[in-house]
Amino acid sequence: MSCEGKTLFIDYSRCIGCESCEAVCKFLYDTPRIAMTRTVEGIMVPLYCKHCEQAHCMKVCNRGALMRDRDGAVVLQPLLCRGCETRNCILACPYAAFFATDLGVTVQKCDLCASRRDVGLEPACVEMCPCEAIMLVDRDSVPDMETEESRRAYERVMAHIRPPARKK
Amino acid sequence: MSNPMNFAFLRKSPLPPNGRKVGIIGAGPSGLAACGYLACLGYEVVVYDKLPQPGGLMVFGIPRKRIPPERIRAGVRRMERQFGVVFRTKTKICCSAPLHEEEGDHFSCDIRGLGELVEEHDAVMICTGSWKSRKLGIPGENLAGVHSGLEFLFPIRAAKYASPNVTMPDVRGKRVAVVGAGHSAVDVVDSAYALGAAKIYMIYRRTAREAPCGSFEIDRICEMGAEWLERRTPLRVEGECGVQRLELANGMTGEAEHLDVDMLITAIGEIPTPPFQQELGLENVRKGEVRWLHMTSIENVFVAGDVLTGPSKIGKAVYSGLRASRSLTNWLDLKAQNREGEYRYDEDRIVP
Repeated sequence: MSCEGKTLFIDYSRCIGCESCEAVCKFLYDTPRIAMTRTVEGIMVPLYCKHCEQAHCMKVCNRGALMRDRDGAVVLQPLLCRGCETRNCILACPYAAFFATDLGVTVQKCDLCASRRDVGLEPACVEMCPCEAIMLVDRDSVPDMETEESRRAYERVMAHIRPPARKK
Repeated sequence: MSNPMNFAFLRKSPLPPNGRKVGIIGAGPSGLAACGYLACLGYEVVVYDKLPQPGGLMVFGIPRKRIPPERIRAGVRRMERQFGVVFRTKTKICCSAPLHEEEGDHFSCDIRGLGELVEEHDAVMICTGSWKSRKLGIPGENLAGVHSGLEFLFPIRAAKYASPNVTMPDVRGKRVAVVGAGHSAVDVVDSAYALGAAKIYMIYRRTAREAPCGSFEIDRICEMGAEWLERRTPLRVEGECGVQRLELANGMTGEAEHLDVDMLITAIGEIPTPPFQQELGLENVRKGEVRWLHMTSIENVFVAGDVLTGPSKIGKAVYSGLRASRSLTNWLDLKAQNREGEYRYDEDRIVP
């Protein structure tokens, strides 16, 4: 188990938009921490937390509620998050990985299924993706896992949530 | 060696046997998800499926280049070996549609009644999906050469099981028209292309932007060489011994058009045909007007997945199977203690 940091990697060229990841996450946590979105081109894709090395969310949280855990995942401490009205994290995340709640703890985010990792299980979305498009990986190994197709598919997703700047 | 799709994702190993036996009818995504959940909690699970292998449409409908079937097979094996699940394949449970009306029925060697299963198990979950193809309802649709999407795709996956009734569709060198614009229609176009069709038309009654498959997929198949005909509605199929021509209404010009084709495939969806549709009271289950979440009007018989909702997505079917099995376990647990009255259904009434 590397200390550089575990994260999820989704190969969008393998993903068929079946929504199983969101389904199991929702079943386990009520508020899913991985969410499907339909791009402008009509493709269904999951948006997910990248557990960034330089996490914007961690920088902007006024409550210190976002920390790195033993596997390098960026995890939310609910006791520190509860009651915050600012919600800087939602705006700061470039990947739409924060979900506002209506009650109690202010936001939800992916913690790489921390309570499952505690007992030696892997994130549920990884287990249940029919296409093996979601993988639990060391952050450093992500470039090795990418292919031409996966990069192109990723660009399509990013063009949807963060459209490129218009040429002047 | 594929990493197994882990339907029993809840736990590393099952809880000790709780002495209860559940029968699941259908080994598609909703059935497998339910199976995994129940097996983890110490239930003895038997899964019945009419086809020779579990997986449902994930294995027998969706092309293998989208979902590698090895991963599902490995997940099934894991449940058999580590969680003691028994799969009874080629077993059809009597349903409301006459036998052999749905794709895959001819694979069944064993036929059993729902009543038998209800006797044998503490609870039964119906996860039979939606297998009866919708029809266009136009003149000539019964001509030779007209097939539903499922009729076309199914043999491509099932051919290796060497049933005499299953032959690969013969599209080599032919002109094929596909009606529909869902993921299934795209799968038909891709498969027809891979099998050597000379010309492929994809016909949809609305526009590319409104197509459920999305404009990206339409652009992709056009680049591949298929012709996209939008805002067209099929009016009639013409031909002497088989399909020769298709008449379409053009929604933009208001005029009729004609297409010379050798095969017509209608990928316009399916309808569910559960066993004992009337007695189960599925309409009430859909509306949520039931005594217990996902439970039919027959006590101890639950329902989940596409048989309840109509054709949907794998993820939605998985979610349905999981919710139904959680509800089933709550039912059996509370009933054993005479505490059924405690169930506050209102909280669970949220429809996914």
